[in-house]
Amino acid sequence: MNSAQIEIQLIASLVAIACAIPGTFLVLRKMAMISDAISHAILPGIVIGFFVTQDLNSPVLILLAALTGIITVVLVEYIQKTGLVKEDTAIGLVFPALFSIGVILIAKNANDVHLDVDAVLLGELAFAPFDRLLIGGTDVGPKSLWVIGSILLVTISLLILFFKELKVSTFDTGLSASLGFSPAIIHYGLMSVSSVTTVGAFDAVGAILVVALMIAPAASAYLLTTDLKKMLALAISFGVFSAVFGYWVAHWLDASIAGSITTMLGIVFLLVYLFAPSKGIIAVIYRERQQRTEVSLLTFLLHLKNHEELEERHVNHLYEHINWQKVRARSVLDLAQKNNMILIEKNIVSLTKKGNEFTSKAIDYIITNEDSQIEDMKDDFFLFRG
Amino acid sequence: MDISKYIELVFTDYTLRTITLGTAILGAITGMLGSFAVLRKQSLLGDAISHAALPGIAIAFLITGAKDTNTLLVGALVSGLIGTFWIKSIVTKTHLKSDTALGLILSVFFGFGMLLLTFIQKQPNANQAGLDKYLFGQAATLVESDVWMMAIVTGLCLIVMLTFWKEFKLLLFDADYTKTLGFNTKFIDILITVFIVLAIVLGLQTVGVVLMSAMLLAPAAAARQWTNSLAKMVFLAAIFGAFSGVFGTAISSTQNNLSTGPVIVLVASVFVAFSFIFSPSRGLLFKQIRVLKNRRDLELHKTLAFMYHIAETHDNISHPHKIKLLNNFQGYTKSTLQKLVDKNYVERNGSMWNLTQIGFETAANLYTKQETEDE
Repeated sequence: MNSAQIEIQLIASLVAIACAIPGTFLVLRKMAMISDAISHAILPGIVIGFFVTQDLNSPVLILLAALTGIITVVLVEYIQKTGLVKEDTAIGLVFPALFSIGVILIAKNANDVHLDVDAVLLGELAFAPFDRLLIGGTDVGPKSLWVIGSILLVTISLLILFFKELKVSTFDTGLSASLGFSPAIIHYGLMSVSSVTTVGAFDAVGAILVVALMIAPAASAYLLTTDLKKMLALAISFGVFSAVFGYWVAHWLDASIAGSITTMLGIVFLLVYLFAPSKGIIAVIYRERQQRTEVSLLTFLLHLKNHEELEERHVNHLYEHINWQKVRARSVLDLAQKNNMILIEKNIVSLTKKGNEFTSKAIDYIITNEDSQIEDMKDDFFLFRG
Repeated sequence: MDISKYIELVFTDYTLRTITLGTAILGAITGMLGSFAVLRKQSLLGDAISHAALPGIAIAFLITGAKDTNTLLVGALVSGLIGTFWIKSIVTKTHLKSDTALGLILSVFFGFGMLLLTFIQKQPNANQAGLDKYLFGQAATLVESDVWMMAIVTGLCLIVMLTFWKEFKLLLFDADYTKTLGFNTKFIDILITVFIVLAIVLGLQTVGVVLMSAMLLAPAAAARQWTNSLAKMVFLAAIFGAFSGVFGTAISSTQNNLSTGPVIVLVASVFVAFSFIFSPSRGLLFKQIRVLKNRRDLELHKTLAFMYHIAETHDNISHPHKIKLLNNFQGYTKSTLQKLVDKNYVERNGSMWNLTQIGFETAANLYTKQETEDE
């Protein structure tokens, strides 16, 4: 590993951290698509800023472009407030228009602007180490490292200072307003941080991939925990892992670093999405199946309780009467037997004492409209789950 | 270049004719299907699908090694559909919200696509150039067969839409009711989604993955402002879309260095802005005018009521009072007084005013009976 490689990985990791922090809050506040809008809409700001400063890493340019991001948010909110279109339509209308202006500005001034459209989408992480920051003639590292480093520093200090406010206003806007934290200030503060981060990361990873760095780690983390601090920590580690690992994949494939980092993020999300312990797709499907069998079991027990007649309780009759397929009926019957809820004598099914007690309690809950209590009750009665 | 010359050129020049026709058809079909996306609150789905189509293009190229438009578009269609259904599954199966699912799939698929594109570019294969036209679109690469393809898909889409019009409409406005009527909502839902994906994929070559969502949204959002009827909205959106295509092509072809996609999107955005402001029933301009008018009417009523309470204390209702008296009342301005005079409610003599009989009666009944016509 040479120093340029280390620097690239360092920049990528810092970008990932800087994106994951506001990203977590955007995901929690259901505003993930705003980051998409901002990342596109800052393009005209960057181009105009470039005309003024002629330097992609100048702080003036970053502020100018971030301002465009905030203008986008205001514009989207204004259109939403008019009620002419639904809120997501407002987002979808504003950013393509601004992005188009940016693309046209670049195309019209292709000779004056050292910016091309590919760089806009992908960033130029590979070249980042070549643009050095010189202070008094000494080389102190790549410029983008300093840019993203300072943005990250500001983000982290804001996060620590306003963690409580952010947390309250994210989960309970009404409470935070009544406690005296203005939701508007926190909202626009978050938007400003997102804009500035997007602009800072833009140089490294491009307009669209910055969205991936904001949303994907946070979404993966959200599937694993419901604790805000843990979610932030997980999101940051997913981001950094993908940044470093993605760099080496790109190195090996000789392809775009940003594209490879995003692909890594996608793979991380896919794995979490499939295998997350309680919220992953496999766990969810397994639980749904379990619940379906258990609901069938309950229906079956209720049926038994309602009928004293022998012919209603005959095994074969149950197949017809409750209208289940054989396989399904067998699994329900097995489950009931395993849990000592029923007794089968000469093909006649009857409730045991335990089964009777369970069913009576379940009826009570259903009558009093407290169906959710049944779920807790199952823990007391079931030896085996469906 | 003047306009008549340009129009002549559109009919005679092969390239220009193809492009104009292509963008017009594209605008029409996206406008039509976009209406459904907008009304179903799936506006940003288009954005996600168009980005999700990118890896499909790259993979189709990697597998076949050929740059045949139709093959690449089939790849785009498949990966667009995978993206769409993944989004749906994330939203239904996990607690992640739709915005997160959209942003996630959009960016991850796009990043994967970019990875493949840059990987392809490094391959020792002379054939790979030009794949990046799918990023921003290049209408100039449209050929007649592409336009035919678009026309056929549009025709197909029209037939399906007319056949299932009732079902589409029902599902759009009352999904639960549709289900109770016994329609297969899942099937209808998938049908609409597939056609939306199809329309997006068709546009990739012309407008590109990045801006395609605007083609879907803008004409529909503009059309929505002018009507409350679905049929009219779909029709209008198709027209707005087609015109955006034609105008966008015209503007970009008369200038150097202007890609067609962004220009078409900007033209469509102008349509939207115009509709937002000038639509008679919902537009901001007329809404503002109505608000001002209502406020003026209210002030007029307040002034009249104030006068009535003064006149009430006198035996002769037409007893003159000083205008000065009105000054400590907020709603009063010279013009409101003049208006009342014009309506014959008040008479004015120099610096004095007095209520007329009509004015007195109107004021007395101001709050007891509902005035139907605006004062």
